[in-house]
Amino acid sequence: MESASLYNVSSSPHVRSSLTTGNVMLDVCLALLPATLFGVWHFGFHAALVILMSIASAVLTEYVFDFITGRENTLKDGSAVVTGLLLALCLPPSVPLYIPYIGAVFAVLVVKNLFGGLGKNFMNPALGGRVFLLLSFGGAMTRYAVDGVSSATPLDTLASGGAANAVQMWTGHAGGVIGCSTAALLIGGLFLWAADGITWHIPVSTLLSFAAFLALFGGEFMTPGMILAQIGGGGIVMAAFFMATDPVTCPVTAPGQIVYGICVGTLSGLFRLFGSSADSVSYAVILSNLLTPLIDEVIVPKPYGFRAGEGVSKPHWSKWLPAAACAVLGTVLVSGLVLGGVSSATRGIIEERRLAENIATYQAVLPEAVSFGFQDGASAAIEALDGGVYGTDFGNAYVNEAVEAKDASGGVIGYLISVTSADGRDGPITLCAGILPDGTLNGIAFTELNETPGIGMVVGEAAFMDQFVGLKADRLTLGAEVDAATGATISSTAVVNAVNAALDFYAAHIQAS
Amino acid sequence: MLGTTFRGGVHPRDCKEFSRDAAPVVYDAKGEMVFPLSQHIGKPAKPLVKPGDPVLAGQKIAEADGYVSSPVYCSCSGTVKAIERRKTILGESECIVVDNDRQFREGKGIGAEADEAQLSREEILRRIREAGVVGMGGASFPTPVKLEPKNPEGIEYIIVNGAECEPYITCDDQLMRTHPKEIVRGLGILLRLFPQAQGVILIEENKPEAIAAIQEAMAGQSGMRLQIAPKKYPQGGERAIIKVVSGRDTQISQLPADAGCIVDNAATVYAVYEAVCRSMPLFRRIVSVTGTAVRNPGNFIVRAGTSCAELLEAAGGVKEGAEIKKALSGGPMMGIALPSLNVPMQKGSGALVLLAEDEAEQSVTKLTNCIRCGRCVEACPMGLMPLLMAAAAQRKDYKRYEQKLYGLECITCGSCTWVCPAKRPLMQTFKDAKAAILSARRK
Repeated sequence: MESASLYNVSSSPHVRSSLTTGNVMLDVCLALLPATLFGVWHFGFHAALVILMSIASAVLTEYVFDFITGRENTLKDGSAVVTGLLLALCLPPSVPLYIPYIGAVFAVLVVKNLFGGLGKNFMNPALGGRVFLLLSFGGAMTRYAVDGVSSATPLDTLASGGAANAVQMWTGHAGGVIGCSTAALLIGGLFLWAADGITWHIPVSTLLSFAAFLALFGGEFMTPGMILAQIGGGGIVMAAFFMATDPVTCPVTAPGQIVYGICVGTLSGLFRLFGSSADSVSYAVILSNLLTPLIDEVIVPKPYGFRAGEGVSKPHWSKWLPAAACAVLGTVLVSGLVLGGVSSATRGIIEERRLAENIATYQAVLPEAVSFGFQDGASAAIEALDGGVYGTDFGNAYVNEAVEAKDASGGVIGYLISVTSADGRDGPITLCAGILPDGTLNGIAFTELNETPGIGMVVGEAAFMDQFVGLKADRLTLGAEVDAATGATISSTAVVNAVNAALDFYAAHIQAS
Repeated sequence: MLGTTFRGGVHPRDCKEFSRDAAPVVYDAKGEMVFPLSQHIGKPAKPLVKPGDPVLAGQKIAEADGYVSSPVYCSCSGTVKAIERRKTILGESECIVVDNDRQFREGKGIGAEADEAQLSREEILRRIREAGVVGMGGASFPTPVKLEPKNPEGIEYIIVNGAECEPYITCDDQLMRTHPKEIVRGLGILLRLFPQAQGVILIEENKPEAIAAIQEAMAGQSGMRLQIAPKKYPQGGERAIIKVVSGRDTQISQLPADAGCIVDNAATVYAVYEAVCRSMPLFRRIVSVTGTAVRNPGNFIVRAGTSCAELLEAAGGVKEGAEIKKALSGGPMMGIALPSLNVPMQKGSGALVLLAEDEAEQSVTKLTNCIRCGRCVEACPMGLMPLLMAAAAQRKDYKRYEQKLYGLECITCGSCTWVCPAKRPLMQTFKDAKAAILSARRK
C-alpha cells in the first residue's frame, strides 16, 4: 500500500505548546488593564486619548515599517501594542497628543525596528521613547495637572523634604503619570506572575534593593513609612513588574535576573536620593538593560552533572544563602559608600553655592558680616522638623535654614534664620531674620514676597520693616511692638508670625546650645 | 510520595485517553514480513538464512555480529523471499523478507518453562543475549551489554522505567496492567544478577491502574519498591529517571552504571522474563496505534516485522473526515516522522502515532523572533541555555556551543522547542550542531 503522497517529515518534537508570542504580549496587556482603567477613570477623557494615540501610533509605525521594508507582517506578535500602552502609562495625563505620537514612533521605529525588530533591541522601547520625550519636551513631560490645576508631583514633595500621603500615592490619587496607581500596577504584576508571564526574581530583587538602598543611605528621616511612600511613587513598581521584566532586555537566568534586579533597584535609589527624582527609574532600567548582555555572558549556569558536589542534590540553603546575601549587601554597600563619598565631597560646594545665592539678603540684615556658614546643631534641628510646620503658635510657619554670620576676624556676630509663612494673603512669604547673639533683632529682609501691589505688598516697605530693628523680645505682638502695615493685616500677621518663629527657633536651638 | 523530581521539564497534554483503556488485542500479520538486520544500536546482525529457506516463528534468522549487536528472530512461519535493502523506520537497512504462510507455526522449545532460581548468572545472561533483548523504549540498545557493566559491584539501583512520559503512548501502561507479575519477576531476575542492588519500578502518577497492579504484584517481594513520580516530560529520560530515583547527577558522557544505576524499560524487563523463564525470544511486543487520525485507537500485540500500514488497518484505518498529516514511530516528543507507512514495525518501536495535524508546521507559519523569554532555559532538564545555544549554532560558533554553553549535553528531548512561544526550531539546530561537532572530531 504505497500512498500517493508522503506524510510530513520533520525533526521531533512534533507537538507544540499553545503559547505564542502574541499570547505572551496579550498577558502583559491584561496585566496593565487595572492601571489603565484607573488612569482613565482618575484623569478623565484626555488620558484615554493619550493611551489610544500612543497605541495607534505604535501599531501604525510597525505596520508602515513592515510595509516599507517588505518584512512579513509582525503586528500579530502584539509587541507594538504593549510598547504603545506602556509608553502611554508613563506619560503625564495632560500632555498634548503629539507627545504620545512622537514617543511611540521613536520607540517602535528607532529603539526597536532599526535595531532589528522584536527581540533584537537592547533597551526597552517604551522607556527609550519616554526618555527621548523627556529630553526633547521636558516642559510638557514634567507638567502634571490634577483637576486642571498644576501641582507638584508627590515625588517633588518628597524630594524637597515634604511629607506626602503614602496611601494616596499607592492608590494613585496623589497624581502623576497616567499609570500612577501603584496598587493597580501591583495587582497586574501579580497577575502576570501568576500567569507565568514573569518570574519573581526581577520584581523582588528590584524592590528589595531599592528599599534597602533608601533605608541605608536615605538619612535619618527615611522611616519605613517614608520608604513605602517612595515605593508608591515614581514608577518603581511599574519598572519592577513591567519595564525591567521586558524579556528582550533582561537576563534569562534566575541568578542573572537577581543581579540585574539589584542593579535596577540600587540605581533607582541612587538617582532618587542623589539625582533628579522624577525620572530616576527610567534611567536606572535603561542602564541596567545595557548590562544585560554582560550579565548573560558571565552567568552561564553549569548544566546538570557539572555542578558542585556532583552526585549530590542541590546544596543546602545554609551553604549558599549567606554568600548570596553578602554579595547583595556588598553591592548595595559599596555603591552606597561610593555615592556617600561623592555626595559629601560635593556637599561643601553645594552649601557654598546656596550661601552665595543669599549673601545679599544676609548682608542686608547683618551688614557687618563677611562670611557665612551653616551651624550643625541648627541644621540638625531643621532636618528633624521633617519639613513640617514649626511650633504651634506661628500659624503655618516653616523654618528653612539657619546660618552663622562671622566678621573679618572669624568671630560670630549673629545668626540668620530663614522662615516661610504660608499664611500670606496671596501666597507664601519667605523672610530672613538677622538675630544678634543676645537675641536682639537686627532686621528682616524678604526673599519671597508675592503679595498684591498696594495691598499686602506694603509689608515690604521700609516703614513696616524698620519697626523690627533693635527689638528684643521672646514674642512680638501685632499692635504692641509692631504696628500692622496699613490695609495689610493678613500679610502683617504672617510676617510677625514668621519673625516669632525665627526668634523661637533661635532661643530653642541656637542660644540654648 | 511525589517529592523528588528533576529540574525543568514541561507538561504537554498527555493525550493518553485515545488508547489508555484499550486492552491489548493480538494482531497476526497477513502480509509479507520484513526483518531489518539493523534494528538495534550496534553492528547489524548477520543473516543465517538464504532466499527459499523455510522458517518458523521464533527461529533465529540472523545472529549477533560482535558484542554490541543483537540477533534477529522470525515472527511467522513461511519462506524467505529475499534479503535486500528496504525502507525502515530509521531510514534504510538490509532486511530479510519472509513470505508469511499465516500458520504461525513455532519452532521447538519455544515457551519451555524454566525456574530462574535454578539458573546460574551466566545462564541468565546467555538467555537474555540469545533472545535478542534490546531496549524497548525506543533506543534499542542491546540489553545484555547494559547488564555487564565494568563495575557490577557498584550497581545500587535497577530502575524499571514505567514512566511512559511521551504523550499518546499507552503500550507500557497496558503491559503493566496486564502483566504486572511478569514484570516484577523480570526485575527479580535482574536483581539476581546484582544481588546488592535495590529494584525500583517508577511509574508516573497518571497511570493509577498500572500503579495498583504493580503494587499488588510486588507485595511480599523484598529488595524492590515502587516509586510514583509526578507527570512531567521527560520523566522517562534516562538521566532524569536516574536523578529522580537515586538523586544523582550525570553527564552525557557517563553511563548509568557510572551513577550506580541500570535503567530498563518495563517492556524490556518483561522481555527478560520471557527470555529467561519461557525461552521466548523477542519477536512480539505491545504496540499502541493511536493519534487523532486513527479510527479505532488501541493497543495490539504485534509480531515484529509487521508492516505499519497493515497495523493502521488493524486499528480501523484512517478516521473518517481526518487525514494523516504526520506519521510517527514513537511519541510526538521524540518519535521519528515516517514519510510512508510502508515500513516494518521493529523490536524497539512501541507506538505508531498518526496525527491529523502537524503542529511542527508552526515553526514555519507562526515563527517569530526570539524574545529571550527564558522559557526554554526553565524547561531544559539538563540546565542548558537553549536560546544561547541556538544563536551560537546558527553562527556555527561550535567552540562556544560546546565549551561555554555545554551544548553536547543536550539529550534532544525537545522540551525547549515544545515550550517556545516564538516557535523557534531549537532542537533541530542542536541536532545539526551536534552532528557537525562530532564529525569534525572524527577527522
